[in-house]
Amino acid sequence: MTSASDAPCRVLVVWCPDWPDGDARAFEQVVTAVEGLCPRVEVLYPGACAVGARGPARYFGGEEALAVKITDAVACHGFACRVGVADGVFAAQLAARAPGTGRAAHAGRAGRAGRAARAGRAARAGRAGRAGTPDAAVIVPSGAAMIVAPGEAPAFLAPHPVSSLGNPELADLLPRLGIRTLGDFAALSAAEAANRFGAQGALAHRLARGLDPRPLVPRPPSADLSVSTPFEPPVEQSEPVVFAAKALAERMHAGLAARGLACVRVQVRVICADGQEFTRLWRHDGLLSALAVAERVRWQLGGWQAAHSGAAEGAGDADEGVQAGGITLLRLVPDQLVRNTGHQLGLWGDAVINDRVARAALRVQALLGHGSVVRPLLAGGRNPADQVTLVPFGDAADPLFPSGRPWPGRLPAPAPATVFPVPLPARVTDESGATVTISGRALVSAPPARLSAHGEPWLAITSWAGPWPITERWWQPASARRRARFQLVAEDGSAWLATVQDGQWLIEAGYD
Amino acid sequence: MGAEVAEVAQATRVTQATQATQGPRVAQGPRVAGLPGLGRDDALVSGGAVPGAVRPGEAVPDDAVLPVLPALQGLLPGGLRRGSVVTAGPWGLLCLALAAGASAAGAWCAVVGLPQLGVAAAAGAGLDPGRMLLIADPGPGWPQVVASLLDGFELVLFRPPDRPSAQLRRRIEATVRRFGGVLVVAGEWDGAQTRLLVAHQEWVGIGPGHGRLRARRAQVVADGRGAAARPRARWLWLPGPDGSVTIADEASGSREPFWPEIRSTG
Repeated sequence: MTSASDAPCRVLVVWCPDWPDGDARAFEQVVTAVEGLCPRVEVLYPGACAVGARGPARYFGGEEALAVKITDAVACHGFACRVGVADGVFAAQLAARAPGTGRAAHAGRAGRAGRAARAGRAARAGRAGRAGTPDAAVIVPSGAAMIVAPGEAPAFLAPHPVSSLGNPELADLLPRLGIRTLGDFAALSAAEAANRFGAQGALAHRLARGLDPRPLVPRPPSADLSVSTPFEPPVEQSEPVVFAAKALAERMHAGLAARGLACVRVQVRVICADGQEFTRLWRHDGLLSALAVAERVRWQLGGWQAAHSGAAEGAGDADEGVQAGGITLLRLVPDQLVRNTGHQLGLWGDAVINDRVARAALRVQALLGHGSVVRPLLAGGRNPADQVTLVPFGDAADPLFPSGRPWPGRLPAPAPATVFPVPLPARVTDESGATVTISGRALVSAPPARLSAHGEPWLAITSWAGPWPITERWWQPASARRRARFQLVAEDGSAWLATVQDGQWLIEAGYD
Repeated sequence: MGAEVAEVAQATRVTQATQATQGPRVAQGPRVAGLPGLGRDDALVSGGAVPGAVRPGEAVPDDAVLPVLPALQGLLPGGLRRGSVVTAGPWGLLCLALAAGASAAGAWCAVVGLPQLGVAAAAGAGLDPGRMLLIADPGPGWPQVVASLLDGFELVLFRPPDRPSAQLRRRIEATVRRFGGVLVVAGEWDGAQTRLLVAHQEWVGIGPGHGRLRARRAQVVADGRGAAARPRARWLWLPGPDGSVTIADEASGSREPFWPEIRSTG
């Protein structure tokens, strides 16, 4: 495109309010619904997607008609959405969230809590404001679209607060300088904005003026920078495809880096043995790692799998396999190339895992599935099973229960060497053969004398300690537990951690 | 008393680890890792101290042994020989103790087929959870999984789902030798170079209805083939009161309390 096309093209944004963070699989259904009407849907993030509006609007007889069609199609899948049409992705997103579209209860929140740090990625503004589940019960009335006429984007944007830019620094700084709305900000000259606020400010200024965040590369690249890998024989499972995608993404990134380019979006194209072809565009912005691209391939395959089996979203894992006779080709196409302004890698971090280990772990992941290879993180918690959080290799996560807190009631050292993932049912009796019970005041009915774990032969108990009552999360009825713990040593010298809950004895862990 | 031992053990662990690789008894292979053809003769010459350590046509690893905890030095003089299979009886803390020395010295450890591994106990014994990878269920294709892991990990802790056939066993042993790692098997493995077993054990600190589990005094017996054929036995705190593994006194009369606080609180 030339500088004349600096003014962005017409964009339609579909935004699902209150989309739960990270539920990409379910969003795939929304994308499929939109894709039924217009090609080349771009997923901005799970919860919002964008399409070029010009062609489809002409086909369906106007932007209003197109918006109605899309809203209805999405509603047919049981999701509520709002639609905004404007010049450029940023304005269209704000339009979708503007009060007056659909049930605009939360529109005022748009962008205010934006945690995206880059103005260039202002498309992602306002993510943090969403929580809860998509309200499937409400069907948005048709005619719920906010349409900003061509050329009116600056006027539409002007009254919005500067916090809509999704740049916390600017959102803090500009109001203190007396610049409260995007209109005020856009009134500055571009050179002044760049001088005073740096590259981030320059990008934000472009957004505020209703332009695309960065100028697009003038012409399509002469070289084919897409990469692909064939699968022979066709692959039924999605795991090997995801595994190949990691290597493929690295190749694509290397090819782009050699030309000093970065892609705004990446198109993932999968061709099946029966000739079916699935493509999807994902936001990239030159920021995704190879692993993150592979992660998007996983979402995409998982989404089709769910759609194919007709099952409800969330049922089953992504590694259950892909229908349509297996996958024969995976292609990654970089889309919308821009000059790579570069970003600094962390000084420490990724290099900690050495190459051989990572390669071996990835190979096993390709064999068994992403979730089968886990790294343990030590966590807090009162029970041995709580004190470790398992994180799939390659993912980042925090422990479920923070460590370094007191955790009153936790077991003292030494820790048990065996922690059963599912506690074993057991029987513990006294001398007379009656099951040992614990009263509400934590009194033992009789000293435990014999133990049989999981149907094993009976063993005499030589030493025991307890009961140690523990009442957890009584404020949360679903996960509340009231138990008593014992340590038991059997005649063969083995030591066990047993608990009594609702009169039932369970072996939780073994110390040997 | 026991606490002091534990402290000393902590302090000497690192130095022991380095000594294990530099000691005169240890066969120092030439540094030609990954080049099967080169330096083979040198390896045979210098590897003469440990018969059968390196066979023709196999890569020679950087150091011929992986370090073990100081408490296990008496049972495994030198350490865990690379390319060997070690069994440690049924699953238990002994398996973790075997892996702890190498893990503390920087080796990566993969754990296969042991969903019940207690990570806190592993950390207490000296393993670094940050250099651990768990594969709870390797499925029917476990030989391939173990072989893939041996390529990248110096230590693989593994419980076979069933008794492997002799042919399969030999194939895995060949993989272990080729990559120069150590396979620690929780269970039976007929061709193991070294076998460790808890012969006697006794938990202390707990009585009928009082106290709590404090430590376990265990007699560990090691035997094996070749140089390790002579059985050795040692008494260990497995675990000690802080979860670490240390040497215990030979005399069995050491049941006096080494945790004064429990007596003072009654």
